[in-house]
Amino acid sequence: MNIYQPHLMTVVDTIDETSDTRTLRLEFADQELRESFEFRAGQFGEYSVFGAGESTFCIASPPTRKGFIECSFKAIGKVTNALREVNTGDTIGFRGPYGNWFPVDDWRGKDVVFIAGGIGLAPVRCVIWNVLDRRDEFGEVTIVYGARSVGDLVYKRELEEWAARDDVRLVTTVDPGGQTSDWSGQVGYVTPIVEATAPKAENAVAVLCGPPIVVKLTLPVLGKLGFADEAIFTTLENRMKCGLGKCGRCNIGPVYVCKDGPVFTAAQLKALPAEF
Amino acid sequence: MNELRDLARQLLTDGTVRVIIGWEDGRRGARPVFITDPADADKLIFDTRCAHNLVTYLDPRRDDVVNLGRIGIVVKGCDAKAVAGLLREAQVARDDVVLIGVRCGGVLEEAELREALELNADNVAPRCYGCDNREPALVDYLVGEAQPEPPRPTMTIDERVAALDELPLEERWAFWSEQFSKCVRCYACRQVCPLCVCELCVADKTRPQWIEPAAHARGNVSWNITRALHLAGRCVGCGECERFCPVGIPLTLVNRKLQEIVAQRFDYVVSDDPEKPAPIGDFRLDDQQEFIK
Amino acid sequence: MTDSTDTRSERPVSERCFISEAGLRDLTADLLESGTEVIAPVAEEICASPSAVASAACRMPGETPVEIEYRRLTDAAELDVSRGLPVLSLKGFFLPEHEALFCWEQRGTTITIKPVPTTFAPRVVLAAKPCDSAALEIVDKVMNWGHEDELWNGRRAATTIINLTCPSIDESCFCTAVDLAPDSTKGADGLLIPVEGGYLFEPSTDRGREFAEAHKRHFASGCGGEEHRNRQAEDERAAARTRVAANLEIDAASVRDWIDTHFEDPLLAALGARCNGCGACTSVCPTCHCFDIIDEQTGVGQGTRRRCWDGCQSRLFTLHASGHNPRDTQGARYRQRLNHKFAIYPLKFGEVLCTGCGRCTRVCHAGQDLVEILAAIDVAARRPGTTTSPQEDGGSSAAPPAEEQVAS
Repeated sequence: MNIYQPHLMTVVDTIDETSDTRTLRLEFADQELRESFEFRAGQFGEYSVFGAGESTFCIASPPTRKGFIECSFKAIGKVTNALREVNTGDTIGFRGPYGNWFPVDDWRGKDVVFIAGGIGLAPVRCVIWNVLDRRDEFGEVTIVYGARSVGDLVYKRELEEWAARDDVRLVTTVDPGGQTSDWSGQVGYVTPIVEATAPKAENAVAVLCGPPIVVKLTLPVLGKLGFADEAIFTTLENRMKCGLGKCGRCNIGPVYVCKDGPVFTAAQLKALPAEF
Repeated sequence: MNELRDLARQLLTDGTVRVIIGWEDGRRGARPVFITDPADADKLIFDTRCAHNLVTYLDPRRDDVVNLGRIGIVVKGCDAKAVAGLLREAQVARDDVVLIGVRCGGVLEEAELREALELNADNVAPRCYGCDNREPALVDYLVGEAQPEPPRPTMTIDERVAALDELPLEERWAFWSEQFSKCVRCYACRQVCPLCVCELCVADKTRPQWIEPAAHARGNVSWNITRALHLAGRCVGCGECERFCPVGIPLTLVNRKLQEIVAQRFDYVVSDDPEKPAPIGDFRLDDQQEFIK
Repeated sequence: MTDSTDTRSERPVSERCFISEAGLRDLTADLLESGTEVIAPVAEEICASPSAVASAACRMPGETPVEIEYRRLTDAAELDVSRGLPVLSLKGFFLPEHEALFCWEQRGTTITIKPVPTTFAPRVVLAAKPCDSAALEIVDKVMNWGHEDELWNGRRAATTIINLTCPSIDESCFCTAVDLAPDSTKGADGLLIPVEGGYLFEPSTDRGREFAEAHKRHFASGCGGEEHRNRQAEDERAAARTRVAANLEIDAASVRDWIDTHFEDPLLAALGARCNGCGACTSVCPTCHCFDIIDEQTGVGQGTRRRCWDGCQSRLFTLHASGHNPRDTQGARYRQRLNHKFAIYPLKFGEVLCTGCGRCTRVCHAGQDLVEILAAIDVAARRPGTTTSPQEDGGSSAAPPAEEQVAS
């Protein structure tokens, strides 16, 4: 066994979230690992189709739920397209958990604001469930989620679950022109919707993830609302291969996204050179 | 090389070009230089150490060079053929470059020297012998004194190719397998080649993976043969691929062999005339080859 | 590895002994006969081939027909002690150009993983270049950061490395500028120093001492009865250090801090102007360790996941599947090379990711010259805003002043 050898995972469910994004639910083939596997919200893994290669996604299911892990991805390249072809019962590979995590324990007693755009909901969803599974420990929970169109919204079933809860304030939006005739959510880009939603910054933290442009535009809005840079958390993507800090590929200046990240505060993000 | 320096200074001063790409003296010998300030024009040199084919910097993917504006570039005969190749394939627009031709009598095989040497049979780059473009035609300016023909090397490149051709197939294959086994897949040959400008090289494609990236026999033979084939009918014989190879694979021999085959089969040699139709990459209804119709 | 705890307290930390030229050959022969793999510099004919015709066809007349490479010896006579620099470093014996991480077999949906060994038979490197063995200890740091790379560590644990003092190679060496020396034992287990009649051997680790002990019939204790050899050894080392030090002197810490705080500085972008992104420097570099991981389908229902050398000079290195590329220009990629080696790695691991071997400079035919580049940064770092001559600075001695170094 060496660190590059993956665990064998059985695909137990496949959910096509949108026309090009998919969620896989995986069980460890090794019974013992199935019970004992632990990770923290925000960590990622290297998922592989044997013969196609490995790809990097966060673990999209929460650590509070045992016996399986989930990942969500957009089919955009060789490996993700191969993952789009796998069926229930197939075996794929998984290495992980890697990277750092959201310091969820530090947020106890605080309000938590989740903001995500498009497939960026995947890493955030993990933290959302982590928080909701420990609901009593936290203050108000606000979720602002948007996508380009109704068809691009991921985790639709869970959006319904969150909407139905009275201990969660959920605001969903689609970009102008992306609404359908029966859309009952907001219409507007994520950034102005966040501004309009105006979550309170006092004793709160924000978790933000999405396409770079959404992150870039939303950070100043959060600042205006009173969120300190140290209280805003995001997770970065970068081209990765080993996931372990050795192949030299994912660094942004002196920071290796796979080892020093992928979770960073806005304060840490601002200290990084413009190389991502 | 005052003629070259004065011209460069003039072209920069009057704004004809924003940058001149030429050669300068470095700590370890002649090397490329990018000059944007007319005051630096005196750095330009041209001597037998100027083996570099500067046309590699005209690669359209090099945004940082392309964005400088109109480029003035110093070219020897072989380099000018490379420009013709890029023009022929619509990779560069004629108006975007000002070509400063230099009269060339050949370059050193071992070019990284502090002082230029006079050429002789032992030190001349074999590929220079028999050059048909010592006063390049595809230029906007032509500078320098008339140069003698490059001396005949101890063994010409054609003699080298012929020697390999005389070997029985198994021996020739053994020779090339061993040479390619040295390859570390750094792709220096591709990066420096002025005609390797594909937006996405076949070696980098993953769907499907045409050429395996690993440096084993399968991957290396695939890569080296594909590279040579993709240059058939396009290679100008500048020899940079071999010069840059860190493990010393004699790539000019492969390229030269393919040039011979193209000459025999298609009656075609690469020239610096961008209008001359090339056997590959050129399609016309009145193609001179019957089989394509 | 360089474990300096001495478990045999009755022996001094460094115990010099002497081995003759013939003795070294005999020792090599002994190792080979016992079935131990021996890696050493070997002088090879360029374009060597069983066919004389083929060799002649590709070899340039007048050029030195011989180059040196580290090879697995088949015969003790192959050992080259001329102290020339091998074309490629020792890196490939610890991080091979390509290696299987594991193999798999697939029957239907059932995958069976076939692991690869992570322990290796003991082997010896003889007459290693100090810059090459030092690189191994430097790369040990990243290979054990958080996760331990068993393949790298396995090969390191299996290998005894005996350096041979370097005389300095040429004007592109600069090991002393990065806190090494032509007689360094960093990353190695002992050092051979040429003297009259043979070599003095100084073990630097327990493993080096065990090596001497195991082969003691070839060694005479001390200087083998010839006092002047001690003096010769010291002279040899001092002379080599002086020669290398004349090439470049920098304040590595200032260079590190300057690069770390000047990411957007035009000097950094300008230093990469000539770079073709060819990756030759990466492949010959003893400390470059970046790799790619790829799957190969080797047959129906079987395949190998392999890692192979990769480098930051390639455009593909950081290209996202979406098409976004954080390092989209050669200038940005070259900056990364300098940044990783001289700022990032030192900040993270306390080691410069460079041993001053000079191969990158020699192999770059586009004229990227690391001695000149480091000198330029050193000048910028030590006296920002001024353009005093480097000699006056007491700094970088071999390079022209800063304003002439930036080639544009």
